[in-house]
Amino acid sequence: MRALWNRIRDRLRRDALDAELVEELRFHQQLLERDAGDASPVRARQRLGNVTAVREETRDHWTLGALDRLLQDVHYALRGVRKSPGFAIAVIVTLALGVGANAAMFGIIDRLMFRPFAYLANPAGTGRVYLRFHDHGQVITKGESIEYTRYLDLKRHTTRFARMAAFSSQSLAVGLGQDAAEVPVAAVSGSFFGFFRAQPTLGRFFGTTEDALPHGTPVAVLGYDFWQSHFGGRNVLDSTLQVGDVLATIIGVAPRGFVGVSETAAPAVYLPITALASSLSFGVGSYYSTYYWGWVSVMAERKAGVNDAAAAADLSQAYRASWVAEAVQNSDLPGPDIAQPAALMGNLKAGAGPELAPKDRGALWVSGVALIVLLIACANVTNLFVVRALRRRRETAVRLALGVTRGRLLAQQITESLVLSGLAGLAGMGVAQLGSAAIRGFFGYDAGSLMLLGDTRALAVTGSIVLAIGVVMGVVPALFAETGDLALALRTGVRGGTHRRSRLSGALLVAQAALAMLLLVGAGLFVRSMSAVRSMRLGYDTDSVVVAAVNQRGAKISDSNSVALSHRLVEAAATLPGVSHAAWVASVPFYSSSWASIYVDGVDSVGKLGHFTYQAATSDYFATTGTRILHGRALMVQDQGTAPRVTVVGAGMAKLLWPGRDAIGQCLRIRTAQAPCTTVVGVAEDAVQQSLTATNDFQYYVPISQFGTNHGFALVLRTRTAPAGQLEAIRKALQRLMPGQYYVTTRTLASIVNDERAPWQFGATMFSVFGALALLVAAIGLYAVIAYGVAQRMHELGVRVALGAQRRDIVGLVMRQGVAFAVSGVVLGGVLAAVAARWVTPLLFHESARDPVIFGTVTVVLLAVAAVACALPAQRASRADPNSALRTD
Amino acid sequence: VPRTAPSDRRDLLPGTLDMLVLKILSATAMHGYGIAQELQRQTNDTLRVEEGSLYPALQRMRQKGWIKAEWKQTPNNQRARYYTLTPAGRRHLGTEVTRFADLVAAIGGVLGLA
Repeated sequence: MRALWNRIRDRLRRDALDAELVEELRFHQQLLERDAGDASPVRARQRLGNVTAVREETRDHWTLGALDRLLQDVHYALRGVRKSPGFAIAVIVTLALGVGANAAMFGIIDRLMFRPFAYLANPAGTGRVYLRFHDHGQVITKGESIEYTRYLDLKRHTTRFARMAAFSSQSLAVGLGQDAAEVPVAAVSGSFFGFFRAQPTLGRFFGTTEDALPHGTPVAVLGYDFWQSHFGGRNVLDSTLQVGDVLATIIGVAPRGFVGVSETAAPAVYLPITALASSLSFGVGSYYSTYYWGWVSVMAERKAGVNDAAAAADLSQAYRASWVAEAVQNSDLPGPDIAQPAALMGNLKAGAGPELAPKDRGALWVSGVALIVLLIACANVTNLFVVRALRRRRETAVRLALGVTRGRLLAQQITESLVLSGLAGLAGMGVAQLGSAAIRGFFGYDAGSLMLLGDTRALAVTGSIVLAIGVVMGVVPALFAETGDLALALRTGVRGGTHRRSRLSGALLVAQAALAMLLLVGAGLFVRSMSAVRSMRLGYDTDSVVVAAVNQRGAKISDSNSVALSHRLVEAAATLPGVSHAAWVASVPFYSSSWASIYVDGVDSVGKLGHFTYQAATSDYFATTGTRILHGRALMVQDQGTAPRVTVVGAGMAKLLWPGRDAIGQCLRIRTAQAPCTTVVGVAEDAVQQSLTATNDFQYYVPISQFGTNHGFALVLRTRTAPAGQLEAIRKALQRLMPGQYYVTTRTLASIVNDERAPWQFGATMFSVFGALALLVAAIGLYAVIAYGVAQRMHELGVRVALGAQRRDIVGLVMRQGVAFAVSGVVLGGVLAAVAARWVTPLLFHESARDPVIFGTVTVVLLAVAAVACALPAQRASRADPNSALRTD
Repeated sequence: VPRTAPSDRRDLLPGTLDMLVLKILSATAMHGYGIAQELQRQTNDTLRVEEGSLYPALQRMRQKGWIKAEWKQTPNNQRARYYTLTPAGRRHLGTEVTRFADLVAAIGGVLGLA
């Protein structure tokens, strides 16, 4: 121990020690010569021995062995960076982009799929319940939007589970007056906290007694961060908090870092799910005995010894029993033998479950793309290293000849590549931070939750990637470029001897080009999908329509007052300066839809033909949204109350229900088969309601006053100019009419629709960015290799010129070689893209995954870029000088 | 210039140089040249020691804390590095001498010299 300490101290003052040793040896020498007297001084020198060897040996005592060698290698590597900054920058930038893209995507994928929830007691045995059934020939799987009644059925009919809980996250206004703000609220069953091994920071959690049917007990547990930010961490037990319509007593505070099973923002408040359900007024009287309202997710913990199959079987028989119970209430429901209801326990995180949401699938795809970019970057950097190793072959040979061991050389190379990949890793973390800041909005994460620098999992993964790359970059070029025959390498002149093409280098070039082709085809497909999504007629105008939603809170007003309020709102809205039309509606596209059974004489079971939703609206609806009437007429002011019942149907619905006949004048019975006729008076263009991709969603329109009292929740307004600047003015004007705690929120219809387009927008953007990146990196790689080849062949080319080769022959020679790589890459990449088409198809929109236009365009672009990358070296090659070629050796 | 009968001189047993140097220093502080002289004198020139090899050994022992080094004036007013035995060095010398004596006795027993 003491010896090591002395060694380290000596290492730090080794220059002084060295000087002292020299002085000591000189003194010794002097005395030897003095004592030898007249005898030969040579003899005196012999007695001391080899002074240099002595110094070397002594010096070893104040070095730190391997550590010193490492420092020396790092020093050497850094000197290399300074000496050829171009090479270093190319390596670092290329790798930083690849590593950064992957670090950013890992941060997201990890949260989406892998990272277990904090405090969960039994992560392996806990899962989410997924329901599966057949609907119109499609298999539907869902892990959310499950009815609360269904949850009760599942719980009642299963025996293999230790506990089961329903949960739902809502955005609710918390607090009163000026302080009111919408925060994430988790409504959870009383059994929920039993899934976790967590102790409340303050007070207690609620249990099943507070979560009893039908109303529950209005108690609340606060999230730790919310408690800190809103209450400064003081004792809030037994005080009350207005959460939406629930006036709750605070009974506890969850521990720091507890997020329940929330995948995005941590809940601010936890409420018993029954307390929240009974307060939400969706016109659903008994949320616990009917199957109209799907709004919860279900989590369950298996009993010990129950495997996946047993759990699924248990859940499936319970779901079937539940399906039968639902069929009793809803005669439209296909029987269990047709629907084949089945259930399973899957990953608690929906992002890793059997049915991925478009954004989850998008995240996976983009991660794959990021990985490809990293592969291209690695291929490119390996190539740069190989080329450099070839260039250094002579230097390496000289060093080997001077006695440096191959192991030492390899260590030096690995150190160098590690230094470079380490620097690239640092730069990559910067890239990742910027990148995840840019894409986090898409995944609904708040700013703080994606700090990669404080995220040990992301850092560990990035570190491992960097380390692996560093080692591979160091070893591979050494394997392929190491001089086999020392003597041969030494003998050949400055030229570097015969032209040596590396097969590895060529393979890497082809791989890069192939992957770039793959990404660019993907980019092209997504960009085309994006423009198809954008240009698709939705069945209404989005650019000049505003949605103003009325949010009920606090004491409700009576139905008749609600109707009066809607009239006042429509009048007030229509007279606003920038507004041309306004209508009161029951549905808003992508926001809410309304459904009722319909019956048509002569058609058996309309519900089996498709999904029919209705829009109940006031008379100006079509003028407001711009939905075109194809035949007949729109809704009119006269179609009210006791006037004959009328409806306008979508074109697709008309064709489906009355094929080959005129829909005008037909009879539609709404809600029951015995209901009086509602006469079709018009046919409108089809309008997209719930999903941009659905093919069997249909819409019909009814006057809101004929349809029922107290219907509708929002205004749609048509503005004369772009609406974005008028949102606040509209909101203020309408807010003045609000009774009690009611409040108005305004959005443009365009922003609602854009949210739906986001997955395609995201795909198009990410594929384009990564595709461009891949192209650039591959081009740099091609350039570097061709330029190196030319530099090495200058002598040979000079001889060719001397023998009468023309400039264009030389240019052609070089270009052919480069373009051959590109062509092989394009062919290989094209095949890969065609094979991958199967998996890409569901992500595209009205676009074939094997679109020949895209394949053709990308091929042309890639070959053009390859030609440009080769043109410069080819130009240089054509200037090969026959004189200098003949004069050297 | 040939040295007189170099083959008459013996190589040092491995590991014994340290012990000899420590023994020499146990009498008095000495510089490197002095140690070399003393070694020759006390062994009657039987041992073949390249004097340069003293210096790595001295550094090693200094790092192990057995000896200390100080720059001092020689009687002839020259600057020289003097080495002194430390208490730890004295202890180490004690154990080494015992071990060596045991070894010699054992070998002697086998050879029938005792």
